[in-house]
Amino acid sequence: MVNLVLIFLAASITHNIVLTYFLGVCPFIGVSKKIEQAVGMGLATTFVMTVAAIVTWLIYHFILIRFGLPFLQYVSFIIVIASLVQIVEMFIRKFSPPLYRALGIYLPLITTNCAILGLTLFMVLRDYDFFESVVFGLGSGAGFTLALIIMAGIREELECCDIPKPLEGAGITLIIAGILALTFMGFSGLISN
Amino acid sequence: MDNTILISILSMAGLGLFFAVVLAIVNQKLKIKEDPLVEKLEGVLPRLNCGACGFANCHIYAEKLAKKEVSPNQCRAGGEEVTNKISEILGVSAERPEKKAGIVHCGADASKRKKKAVYTGIKTCIAAHATSGGEIFCEYGCLGYGDCMRACPFGGIEIVNGLAKINPDICTACGKCATACPRGLITVEKITSKDFIYVACSNLDKGADTRKVCPVGCIACGICQKLTEGIFHVEGNLSRVDYEKLTGLSNTDEVVKKCPTKCIVHI
Repeated sequence: MVNLVLIFLAASITHNIVLTYFLGVCPFIGVSKKIEQAVGMGLATTFVMTVAAIVTWLIYHFILIRFGLPFLQYVSFIIVIASLVQIVEMFIRKFSPPLYRALGIYLPLITTNCAILGLTLFMVLRDYDFFESVVFGLGSGAGFTLALIIMAGIREELECCDIPKPLEGAGITLIIAGILALTFMGFSGLISN
Repeated sequence: MDNTILISILSMAGLGLFFAVVLAIVNQKLKIKEDPLVEKLEGVLPRLNCGACGFANCHIYAEKLAKKEVSPNQCRAGGEEVTNKISEILGVSAERPEKKAGIVHCGADASKRKKKAVYTGIKTCIAAHATSGGEIFCEYGCLGYGDCMRACPFGGIEIVNGLAKINPDICTACGKCATACPRGLITVEKITSKDFIYVACSNLDKGADTRKVCPVGCIACGICQKLTEGIFHVEGNLSRVDYEKLTGLSNTDEVVKKCPTKCIVHI
């Protein structure tokens, strides 16, 4: 039990997938203009991450390992993620058209979001069992959402700030991302993975 | 070795097939019936999402149009052209949209306004208004920092010598400027004729006080009320107009001429 809590905390805070491993920076920069959108994107990604962790774990252990095909993990994981994203996209379009329009191109881009592929590969690399994988997926999703919301909060405040002209837009955002990553380094000693 | 290749191919094909079937099922279950009519209508609308039609965006207006719940002449931004196109698609006859435009109820430009201080803060009306009314004495008048100009999606407002001027030809009466003005100087009115006149003042102070801060403010003398029999009436130290009845006014020029502070003006 303690192990699971530690995995969750490690995935969401000390080893935050965005701010420590620098995976999934594209949506981190792209969908962090408003907190509302950030929450929507974060939840969608969390859902995909958790389900992807479950399905890829099952596939890895019951198909790839059994038939001695672990070298096919990249291909099979990408298939899983792409299909899941398609399902999530249809789901959001059906039940929340405003969110669908707000997320725009970034929703299909979850497919190629390296954070999710990274998550599944870490899971294999660290030899997590089933429940650990589920918690790891949830934790990474929570960490991704957290990073997105923090960034969106800062950027909303930034709207009212006097930013030097050359740094407006992506420039200042990347600088802030760097500083955020630095602050998250402060957590690094808390849990050893 | 041959075996590995075969198993790889089979397992990946199996996975692909499995997810294809799942996706196909989900796609059927979650299918949205998007009306092609809505898409067509949305293509005709200007997609400015200004909200003048009374709906949040063009998409919702298009949906309502497709259900025939609203008349096709509500799009003010698109004007007659869009109305005609919508009527063509829906196969109904078009009614002419009434011409409406925003009106600034202040006539004092920077040379006429009396200043009480120098304001060096943020150059927006809302900031100046919050800072004890900016630099002018009149608590009701135009501040001239152009919040309305920036709010206008069509570029129909200019600040001429510190006073907002709305170009009625460009104005689509979306009312964005009316919400942007911290002093509530802008109203949207029906422009009934070329002889449209309005009261270019919003000052609610007594006549004597108004005179102290502005040479073109309404002093509530009541002359216009006497001349027009009910179309103009003085209430709360300000002359008000029933703009819908303006068409019935025959002595427009006389009303404009007799106003002692010249705050009744042509559009």
